[in-house]
Amino acid sequence: MGNATILVIDDELHIRQFLRAAFEFEGFTVQEARDAEEGIRSATLKPPDLIILDLGLPDRDGSSIIERLRSWSNIPIIVLTVRSREREKVRLLELGADDYVVKPFGIGELIARARAALRPRVVPAANDPVVRVGPLEINLATRFGTIDGKRLVLGPKEYQVLQILAQHAGKVVTRQQIMKQVWGGSHLDDTHYLRIVVRNLRRKIELDPTRPRILLTELGVGYRLAP
Amino acid sequence: MRQTSDQVDRASVWRRLQDDALSVLKSLVLVAITTIGLLVLDQFFALRHVTLVYLVPVVIAATRLGIVPAVIAAIAGGGASAFSFYPPIYSFLVKDPQHLIELPLFIFVAIVTGHLATNLRRQADLARRRETEVHDLYAFSRRLAAAHTPSDIYTAIREHLASIIGRRTILFETAPRGAADAALSSEGRVPEQVKRATEALAQGRKGSGNGSVVEDGEGRVWLVRPVSAKAGDFGVLAIDLGQQAGKMADAIRERVDAVLADATATLEHLDLGRALSDARVRSETEALRDALIGSVSHQLRSPLVSILGAATVISRAPGNRGDPRLASLADVLRDEVDRLNSDVQDLLDAALISSKGVRLDCEWIEPADIVNAAVDRRQRLLADHRVLLDVAGELPFIYVDPILLEQALGQIVDNATKYSQPGSAITIAARGASDAVVLSVKDDGIGLVGEERTCLWERFFRGERRAANVSGSGLGLWIAKAFVTANGGQIEAFSEGADRGTLVSIRLPAREPATPDLAVSGDG
Repeated sequence: MGNATILVIDDELHIRQFLRAAFEFEGFTVQEARDAEEGIRSATLKPPDLIILDLGLPDRDGSSIIERLRSWSNIPIIVLTVRSREREKVRLLELGADDYVVKPFGIGELIARARAALRPRVVPAANDPVVRVGPLEINLATRFGTIDGKRLVLGPKEYQVLQILAQHAGKVVTRQQIMKQVWGGSHLDDTHYLRIVVRNLRRKIELDPTRPRILLTELGVGYRLAP
Repeated sequence: MRQTSDQVDRASVWRRLQDDALSVLKSLVLVAITTIGLLVLDQFFALRHVTLVYLVPVVIAATRLGIVPAVIAAIAGGGASAFSFYPPIYSFLVKDPQHLIELPLFIFVAIVTGHLATNLRRQADLARRRETEVHDLYAFSRRLAAAHTPSDIYTAIREHLASIIGRRTILFETAPRGAADAALSSEGRVPEQVKRATEALAQGRKGSGNGSVVEDGEGRVWLVRPVSAKAGDFGVLAIDLGQQAGKMADAIRERVDAVLADATATLEHLDLGRALSDARVRSETEALRDALIGSVSHQLRSPLVSILGAATVISRAPGNRGDPRLASLADVLRDEVDRLNSDVQDLLDAALISSKGVRLDCEWIEPADIVNAAVDRRQRLLADHRVLLDVAGELPFIYVDPILLEQALGQIVDNATKYSQPGSAITIAARGASDAVVLSVKDDGIGLVGEERTCLWERFFRGERRAANVSGSGLGLWIAKAFVTANGGQIEAFSEGADRGTLVSIRLPAREPATPDLAVSGDG
């Protein structure tokens, strides 16, 4: 992972500067782009392993950049956004962004998100089809879960929700993404069901279900399994 | 053209004659029905003074059909009673002298009654129409008051005029100083000829006050005229007169003139001109304010992003890593940036609330999630206090805007840390009440005294006692209250006095979601 290339698309010189320094200290290679056009060109000519995209670009709307990139590539994208724009965050995640970081941010936070986004996704057919998140282990092949080595008894919906979150461990997953995969397209607005499943899951995996440390809520957006 | 309009006139006269004949026929049928009814009753009871019964068809004819059918019904009624009931029966001859007096008297009374009934009916209709007009006018003036842009006002005028004229109406918005380009404000397609006539009218306003009649390519006739001959600002009106032409068009045109004279007087009375220019200014000011808020947000935030980013990078740089002094300096920067950022956010929130109100994006939410988000976001701020979380396990879900509610609770937590000693306890709780969920923040701080209890929620209010050494904008609790109230909740503060701590509670209505438990049934 250390040699991964990161493309920073940001119109502000100072932000590009500190992002370059930070990622180079961590052993990454950094490419820079000043605007959307340059960013898209750079991503096409020399595809990076991860794109960090600032939404306040002067020449193009963030969602159109993500759409354009997603039309030909699955490179993980982390979006830099501002607070109190949850609807926009959800829309960008639906369009294919992998995660977001709210400005202003400490660099530690962004690097953690970047590592989570770069982590290869575990699939049931893998050699080692086990996702480990802290004390939680989920075997995607046998569909068994354990917490601190103890067997978890999960209902089918509970298992499905936990599996989706575990496969994206450390990354935010929107409610709509979970609803679509678990309940299908017709119940997208009934996120109440999801909340009930999450409450049940927390009762089974959290030490204190009212103060979750593993299955975290991103208010207004979705859920995240603590990396 | 001449010939066709004559044909049209003749056809319409013929139609009117037919209508009149039909009304007379109806009144005669009424009389016949009455006579048959009376004859049937006469078989069982020996009826006297039957003539009076004929007032019934007269009154019906008067109210439903008009005065002429009523008079005819009166005469026919008199005739029918002479024929069927007065001896000699089945002859119009009347022998009895008393009947000879009764009959003309009846006809006279019937005609007077018919006349009165017709008048009454007309007045009732008039009153009903007035009521509708007043209602329309009231709705119209309410729309004007709420209108934000000139185009809102033009739409309101167009719909108002269309409803009183009763025909398809298009309103062309003209620029304030009667400029050449007439902007369109309507739905539906507009024929080229009408557009051209409108432009001509907008350009050479003087001298064409009464407008002109235009025919489009499809045989429809349009009346094009300014809404007001005097004041140009109200725009140009095009009214679809349909396939009619000639004298009919003239008649409609007269009616439209009358309606428009009334309407313009109303528009002037409502000070529409002012409303229009106010709306123009208002939309410009709002656009300006939005731009300002956006740019301030960007201008103030961008340096914060670089400051915080660069500082944290320096403290993590390979040569510096593990140096506790640098780490703590980075923490200082982080705290200050957080504080500045939240002050900027307060200003933006306050500007948005007062310009646009609070916009909600509600969803069902676990109350614990809001408490946790508010606490987690302020971990560094709360680091010096003992934080106790007291969240009940089985709280009902609440239907709120989670982001706004988290910000409201966060503002209260911020205040608790500002007005209490480091090391003291702050208890943040979420509890169920009978039909509500109550979130609360309790501190052991300086409490509330005197005017603080009442002015606490006011904009820019800051407690005198600690104003010197506590930073803040005085907006926090005002914002918290706005957000909580918008979510249908209540916010209250309690304190037993100076240095006895403060308890702030947010009470949110809890109701059950309408959907059944699909999740549970699907879980097996």
